[in-house]
Amino acid sequence: MLKRYPRLAVLFAVALLWPGLVLAQPKEKVTISALPFISTAPIFIAKERGYFDAEGIDLDIKIFNAAQAVAVAVASNDADFGITAFTGGFFNLAGKGALKVIAAQSREEPGYNFVAYVASKKAYDAGFRSPKDFAGKSVAITTVGSSFHYNLGMLADKYKFKLDSVQMKPVQSIPNMMAALAGGQVDATILPANNALKLESDGSGKIIGWVHEHTLWQLGVLFASSKIVKEKRPLVERFVRAYQKGLADYAAAFLAKDSQGNRMIGEKALALMPVLEKWVQPKPSIDTVKVAANYMDPQGRLLVKNIYDQLAWYQAQGLVDKSVKAVDFIDLSFVKGHRDVPK
Amino acid sequence: MSDPAKTPVSFRGAGFVPGTRRWAPWLAFALIIACWESASRLGWLPSLFMPAPSEVMNALHALLVDGKLLVHIGASLKRIVSGWILGSIAGVTLGFLMGIFVLARSVGLPVVSALFPIPKIALLPLFILWFGIGEPSKVATIALGVFFPTVVSAFSAVDNVPRNLIRMAQSFGLSTRMIVFKVILPGAMPGILAGFRISTSIALILVVAAEMIGADTGIGAFVLAAGNLMQIDQLIAGVVLLSLLGLTVSALLSVTEKIVLRWR
Repeated sequence: MLKRYPRLAVLFAVALLWPGLVLAQPKEKVTISALPFISTAPIFIAKERGYFDAEGIDLDIKIFNAAQAVAVAVASNDADFGITAFTGGFFNLAGKGALKVIAAQSREEPGYNFVAYVASKKAYDAGFRSPKDFAGKSVAITTVGSSFHYNLGMLADKYKFKLDSVQMKPVQSIPNMMAALAGGQVDATILPANNALKLESDGSGKIIGWVHEHTLWQLGVLFASSKIVKEKRPLVERFVRAYQKGLADYAAAFLAKDSQGNRMIGEKALALMPVLEKWVQPKPSIDTVKVAANYMDPQGRLLVKNIYDQLAWYQAQGLVDKSVKAVDFIDLSFVKGHRDVPK
Repeated sequence: MSDPAKTPVSFRGAGFVPGTRRWAPWLAFALIIACWESASRLGWLPSLFMPAPSEVMNALHALLVDGKLLVHIGASLKRIVSGWILGSIAGVTLGFLMGIFVLARSVGLPVVSALFPIPKIALLPLFILWFGIGEPSKVATIALGVFFPTVVSAFSAVDNVPRNLIRMAQSFGLSTRMIVFKVILPGAMPGILAGFRISTSIALILVVAAEMIGADTGIGAFVLAAGNLMQIDQLIAGVVLLSLLGLTVSALLSVTEKIVLRWR
């Protein structure tokens, strides 16, 4: 019938769609680039629970497989926002004026195991038991200028050994780092909790300490393209509000502790598992979440001074251009109560 | 109708003569660099996406001043030269055997054809298991990459030695050994040297892949680190170094060709 009466068909379609056309609020399309890790969970939660929709934001999440790519996507305006860890590459990109840091993601917090120092079986048996003794050891890292490199740099500063005395072996990826340690080709490596615990349970490595026991720092951030911060401030404010709701849910579900200081993973965490299973790669189980859910400030507050310190360290190593200034790429106005703000 | 045999024919044998204009490549390079620099100066090329040649020169200069340049080039050259020599010796030997002996050819050709297309970079994790993350795995990556094209070029070079030359040598009563060393080897040399041009380029390409794992010095490691750090000027500087190295090797090969192929 509809074939014979095309006008009737159009009328019919309009009648069906009319309520939708009238009721739909104009939502702004926004893109974020991210890694499929648990550290991106607040974004996933806020999207799945409709916090972005409530702010009038239609969020498209683009998944990448390296921190570098996440930052590049924002710098090249392929994405409006990005959420990932700091790297030397990030600071160099930010220094070109393409990015603005607006809120916090993961950080090392006392009592929350996140990244571990792992010694090879052989080095451990030979007496390598403390992160203070990295001098003279060979260490697998992903790349020069990665967060693992910076972890070693902080240790060197704190325990007064020369970073040059550590033989750094860049092997490009975490699986390669694990292989190099398991194969006995390096004395140590630095790994996220789930990878470190896997090596230990396989018997090929020994965890000799956690980063939060030695050095506290801001690992990851939410950032936006300078263009959107300049031209669409209200949109960025709405985005940060939705992100903070996701953060609050995440903190309530995964960061709560009982009176003995043990992590409690309860009802709220179970309720969020479907969201994580949908977005996080490889697919997490409640047990991996228990060890891999890292600390994030529930309101997205940054450890500001640490970012200044990180930049200064990368610059001292000659990995980041000397002309880059932290104050130029951090915008503190979107989140209240940032910590350690340098005067 | 005039007699076609009597119409004068103009000389048509000109052109198609290989020669070189020494100034042409320099002018072309200068022109490209000038355009690039002015595009950067005018702001058509944002430095985030493409640094100006002058920035690249500055990066190279900085490397030269703090002495890292020589360290990187030295480390890479050691890997390239040893990998290339190993791969070439093995490749030329096998290629020769395949060109001369029927059995070697019938076994070698399908095996080489099967293994040649395997991307050596994909085998890197395997090389790490076999050779560790030290120098051997890097040399092996380059040697293997060089080996296959060398086999193919040496084999076809031997195959293309004119049969009548070999028959003539036989009719003069030369021993097989003499034929191999006095006729086949020089006759195959042009083809083998042409193969070297390709295999040296492959060695330069593979040095970047070889230095992905566990290398803190070397041009490849430098290029990779610059990429990871988004230091685009240094990245381009490393690429320029590689291409200068390629030009040098090509010049060296031209000299070798002149010496080895003097009999032509």
